[in-house]
Amino acid sequence: MKRSVGRILTTHAGSLPRPKDLVELYKDNAPHSQLQPRLRSAIADVVRRQADFGIDIVNDGEFGKAMRRAVDFGAWWSYVYDRLAGFELRQEQANKGRAAWTFGSKERKEFAEFYAEDGGMGNAQAGSSSSRMFGLTCTGPVKYTGHTAIQRDLKDLASALGGAQVEEAFVTAVSPATLQILPNEYYKSREDYTWALAEAIHEEYKAIVDAGFILQIDDPALVDIYDWWFSLNDDMAGYRKWAAFQVEAVNHALHGIPEDRVRFHICWGSWHGPHSGDVPLKDVADLLIKVKAQAYSVEAGNTRHEHEWKVWKDTKLPDGRLLIPGVVSHATNVVEHPELVADRIIRFAEVVGRENVIAGTDCGLGGRVHPQLAWAKLATLSEGAKLATKQLW
Amino acid sequence: MKHSTDRIVTTHAGSLSRPSGLIALNRARASGDKVDDGAYAECLSSAVTAVVRKQQELGIDVPDDGEFGKPMAASYDYGVWWNYAFARMDGFVPADSVPESAHRKSSVADLALTTVRNRRDWQKFSEFYLDPDSTGTLIGSAPRRATRRPVCTAPIRYTGQAAIQSDIANLKKAMRAANVEEGFMCSIAPGSFARGEDLYHKTEEEFVLASAEAMREEYKAIINAGIVLQIDDPSLPDNWDMINPEPPLGEFKKFERIRIEALNHALRGLPEDRIRYHICWGSWHGPHTTDIPLKDIVDLVLTVNAGAYSVEAGNVRHEHEWRVWKDAKLPEGKLLIPGVVSHATNLVEHPQVVADRIVRFAQIVGRENVIAGTDCGLGGRIHPQVAWAKLAALADGAKLATSELWR
Repeated sequence: MKRSVGRILTTHAGSLPRPKDLVELYKDNAPHSQLQPRLRSAIADVVRRQADFGIDIVNDGEFGKAMRRAVDFGAWWSYVYDRLAGFELRQEQANKGRAAWTFGSKERKEFAEFYAEDGGMGNAQAGSSSSRMFGLTCTGPVKYTGHTAIQRDLKDLASALGGAQVEEAFVTAVSPATLQILPNEYYKSREDYTWALAEAIHEEYKAIVDAGFILQIDDPALVDIYDWWFSLNDDMAGYRKWAAFQVEAVNHALHGIPEDRVRFHICWGSWHGPHSGDVPLKDVADLLIKVKAQAYSVEAGNTRHEHEWKVWKDTKLPDGRLLIPGVVSHATNVVEHPELVADRIIRFAEVVGRENVIAGTDCGLGGRVHPQLAWAKLATLSEGAKLATKQLW
Repeated sequence: MKHSTDRIVTTHAGSLSRPSGLIALNRARASGDKVDDGAYAECLSSAVTAVVRKQQELGIDVPDDGEFGKPMAASYDYGVWWNYAFARMDGFVPADSVPESAHRKSSVADLALTTVRNRRDWQKFSEFYLDPDSTGTLIGSAPRRATRRPVCTAPIRYTGQAAIQSDIANLKKAMRAANVEEGFMCSIAPGSFARGEDLYHKTEEEFVLASAEAMREEYKAIINAGIVLQIDDPSLPDNWDMINPEPPLGEFKKFERIRIEALNHALRGLPEDRIRYHICWGSWHGPHTTDIPLKDIVDLVLTVNAGAYSVEAGNVRHEHEWRVWKDAKLPEGKLLIPGVVSHATNLVEHPQVVADRIVRFAQIVGRENVIAGTDCGLGGRIHPQVAWAKLAALADGAKLATSELWR
């Protein structure tokens, strides 16, 4: 995996704004023959555009993960809807909506009016990608069935990279901890269930790395499950026990995959809510660094987590590992000033070493801020990285 | 004005979330429905009493009336801070009663303000502003409306004596009830008031000066009542983006100097240490990439005859500007009120982020000269529950900063 030798490299967390017509094709469930040519050309465009904006480590914008509306927060994990066997739709569960997953959230109780009136997703609740997942329950052996889909994604990205001036490319895939949010009726225990999910999703991880790409595991659940399940009872011990097991599970899913081809992304959920119930990074950083990945991509560019760069003074980043802090965020429409971006990068560089910092985003920008703002944020990310490079070298 | 003598004192920029009952009455009045004056006055007064107590409970040391006397007729509304003043002024007609005309050019600089849709920010991000889906990311962040202000067609005269006296009475009553020593009240700066079309005055400068003379009535009333006067003047930074194409900085400063001279004229004889001056770059939820850097205007800001400067500093476009105060010297005895929480995100600032921000300012201008504030009013710009949580985070952060700065 590339590191910041001689200058601060740039990347982002994955999702980028989809072109309108691609969203329409997904929404209409267009047949492969219609979808595929447009998907491939859109990926070629978005790779070129990332290079033009000064992003060094690029991806396919997650375009192969279906987004059915312009404002949509859930495509990063709902893509497995079509790639995992063993699940059934339970209507009575689906009727509960997101509440079925956030039953233990103190924040949703304290900010009940806010969540009732908005949910932090503007008008994106109905018809969003995540809403496809409402009601999915595991009722049989979990099995990965997405081989054709992931190969299509990998081929599209490989063909888009031909000729693009970039350092490296990554592909995102969901974590076992995220998948185990879906209720289970088949496995005897949550542990058995998570283990089976890890083995299933391993196949996708392996396909990505075998194709020569960096694998990014998206694991917001590792931190946001504290808010969703444990915060109501302030159950830090219960949470840490759960999280420690999830780290074992993701390491199981990574067996046989070289650590230096893996980056691991955490964020506290991308909805535009107060996030006052987020677990502090300091309470989970020691578990995070047990994940067998070379790089950790961590939300750090917003008002709830900006101060947490100090955590890395106490929790030592293991030798050879990289940190990809979020230095621009989807959490505000205001475009970060390049000098602020530089300040943030420098704070991390001073703690973990400049060669161990890659500038990233808090979370995917696609579907979470307006496309014009998303691209303006990538531009400021790369401008800020240049300013930081000047100061650090 | 209170200084942070032995701990970091807290305040905010003015607007707070109105109770739904008050909004409903305002809406009824705005649409011409009959609302009993006595019932309205009672609702307003008790709402002010409650909001002063609420600020106190949340740990805000220098509260205001939440700007409740400035009528807000909807849950989300960014314009109350300026449009209230037109209801207190003679000399204007509603914008839709006259055809749109160009803004008058300055006679000291070759510049004129433009319309909202011609702003540089609007032009650069027009897809965002025109896209109905762009409302999705922040509650209430409706695409910015292209608002025309009332048009000046006759001599300007302040007619708001009764309104301001009622505001003052409500705030004083509330302060007595909560046993609060210091409270503030917002009033618009001439430069921020005189931003619409003017068909009456010979020059733009006359329009600004006439506005200043009229607003002086309100300033005097607030000061005479023993309340700290906050002059709201987002126009100082925000006019920069309202001039298209981008003007030479020197010309822009000439253009703005006239407005500050007019403000200082309106403040003549009023005690500096009872006045605070608030600037921000406009509170709409947009990208703000064309905001003028603080370093380019800070010298102008410091020429305002005020004892405290309240400056937006708690969001990603302006957070790095704390460094400006290393070069721009805050005059002896004056206060800085940086915004350390913001309406620009639904995320509630972590108290440690708030403390880090306060400490940075304190290290430059001295801990006793920093009061923790907000970027802009929170009312009407963010969900009420989030707004209150932000005030609580502000107070918690100030406590953390205090323990770091006085140990």
